[in-house]
Amino acid sequence: MVDEITDFEVLEIAVRELCIEKGLFTADDHRSFTEFAEHIGPTPAAHMVARAWLDPEFKKLVLADAIAASREVGVDWLQPTGFGTPSDFTALHVLEDSPTLHHVIVCSLCSCYPRPILGNSPEWYRTPNYRRRIVRWPRQVLAEFGLYLAEDVAIRVEDSNQKHRFMVMPVRPEGTQDWDEDQLAAIVTRDCLIGVALPKVGVTSNAITDTRPAIHPANH
Amino acid sequence: MSTSENLCSIEPVEIAPLAKIVERHQVWSHMAAKYGVENPVPPWKTSLDGICDALDQGGCGPEILSFVDRRNEEDTLSATVYSNLPYPENQLVSLAHSLVARGVIDETELQERLTGIRARLEAG
Repeated sequence: MVDEITDFEVLEIAVRELCIEKGLFTADDHRSFTEFAEHIGPTPAAHMVARAWLDPEFKKLVLADAIAASREVGVDWLQPTGFGTPSDFTALHVLEDSPTLHHVIVCSLCSCYPRPILGNSPEWYRTPNYRRRIVRWPRQVLAEFGLYLAEDVAIRVEDSNQKHRFMVMPVRPEGTQDWDEDQLAAIVTRDCLIGVALPKVGVTSNAITDTRPAIHPANH
Repeated sequence: MSTSENLCSIEPVEIAPLAKIVERHQVWSHMAAKYGVENPVPPWKTSLDGICDALDQGGCGPEILSFVDRRNEEDTLSATVYSNLPYPENQLVSLAHSLVARGVIDETELQERLTGIRARLEAG
């Protein structure tokens, strides 16, 4: 453990205490949202895709009503408040890839992301650099993640917004014919669900991507 | 209409208690390496997430600092006055900056609170 009290740890407590004292939110609100942040992650989304690959009926549900399909993998979008988180609402759409169509998600406005089912977004997803460039030059930006798509594969960039969240259902890769849901879910990484990677036999971790500052910062 | 002009009006000015924190630079990557800890993010990260969500939804939080303003100001400040900080340290310090800039938290009050909390934590 880190046996030293850092300034950032102290600052986080100070901001929290002062906000509560000034009535910006309650201690109960904070505790509830912190617990939510503690337990979210990409595992349910990976299982949703893996199960959809195995079960055509479940796949229909995923594409028709992703919120209902989320419940089947243990995620209730109405939590933790009873009506969702303040920024996530309850509208999820799963974007199905095909051999000639690839999807990738972004939030060009800020950093909207399907947190209840995918966990917190990676750092690079939040940056103005990714948010601007993936919209303008998707093929090149995907190549920077190591994803080189053939010219005959169309790329659709889906821009999240305050009312809708998206995630990608990639094509089931070759070499997984006899796999079960757990085996398949292991290769459906967070990056695959964002659309900056494709599932591949033997690959179960995300790319480590340097975060680059925007050349033209946010206010220019 | 230029959207960029409307995105953010936060001033990237120096706020003394925050400037001191930036200068000391006890960022998680350094601390984790120093103590051989492998967690990718600092232990206070989920509590910071809780603050942001609670601000977005609770009481008068959104009227004082809306979700979009908070994120825009974080982007601006992270690219300017806090460009030497990594994530999520830049998110935390930017949030504190936004609250001080709005007068929600007074700069002196913040410094006193920081001192008090550190004394409390070190009293063990």
